[in-house]
Amino acid sequence: MSGFSEQVLELSVPYLGPAAKKFLERQTTSHMDGLSFDQLQKGHLPELGKWVEISAGLLIDKAKAKQLADKIRALA
Amino acid sequence: MTAWYASLQTKLILSFLILIVVISGLTFGYTYNETKNALKESTQDELANIAGIMATQVDGDVVAALEPGDEGTQEYLALVEGLRVMRSSRPDLDTSYIMTVPLNGTVTFLVDDTWGDDVPGEVNDSVWIGDAYEDAELEAIGAAVESPSTSSEFYTDKWGTFLSGYAPIKNAENRTVAVLGVDMLATKVMQRQDFIGSTIYLIMAISALLAALIVGAFSRTIIRDIKKLNATATAVSMGNTDVMVDVERNDEIGELAGSFSRMVTSLKIMMMDRD
Repeated sequence: MSGFSEQVLELSVPYLGPAAKKFLERQTTSHMDGLSFDQLQKGHLPELGKWVEISAGLLIDKAKAKQLADKIRALA
Repeated sequence: MTAWYASLQTKLILSFLILIVVISGLTFGYTYNETKNALKESTQDELANIAGIMATQVDGDVVAALEPGDEGTQEYLALVEGLRVMRSSRPDLDTSYIMTVPLNGTVTFLVDDTWGDDVPGEVNDSVWIGDAYEDAELEAIGAAVESPSTSSEFYTDKWGTFLSGYAPIKNAENRTVAVLGVDMLATKVMQRQDFIGSTIYLIMAISALLAALIVGAFSRTIIRDIKKLNATATAVSMGNTDVMVDVERNDEIGELAGSFSRMVTSLKIMMMDRD
């Protein structure tokens, strides 16, 4: 698992719980050309942030989803 | 649906109300008792001062010369009038009078400011020169030969229950020739005490009411959020995961809501994966 993957996961667990990794894996494989979440690099973060904001907004409060996405984007 | 008598809000308000009532009751009891004693002591001081001031306005030589049968004389009537005028400046006083210095355990009356008020055919209670004062407070009157004194407690004689102040009347040679007494009816003193008691009671009742309102308002927000959490948990337990936890607080309930929200979100993610 790359350092960025670990950081993103650490940021996401408080919002999405123990299934956060499954959620992030789904975002990268479905929306980022089959990218494995473990292979996440700095350049992927803005795109991942966009999809987290959209998809997490369907699961949790939209403001919180945006907050998580902003934190992910800020890692870049 | 939880019955009102079993709800947390009812229990919280009741617990605080009981706590407030117990604390208020203890505080009321202590404060009222202390205030009552302080009020009695201040009334005693006030009576001693009034008696002291009035005694200095009385001519001791005229008093010393009074003999039984002098009631109609100009000197006697002037003394009665003088006492009445001074007493009338303090409406809470009941009577003022002049007595002999205690001798062999006996005190006799010299001047009574109600003299002449007697109405034929009615119960008349004014006294005449030389009438013995039965049930007199000999200790307090004896002490007043030296300096102003007061009743240590309420005392009862044939005229009623009083708190009294006494002071020496001196002649031109500065010798005590008589003692002046002023009476305040016990009911007047008790009225003062009751007023203080009612005021304290009113303040405490208002405080308890305010505290109950504050606790009620405070517990209402807690209960409202617990109800929201409960509704979400019930929905999830019935298979509806399309719910969000709408509770934003910075306390333990907020933390519980956050944990619950994470749990529901994870459940949704896992269910989506399974689908």
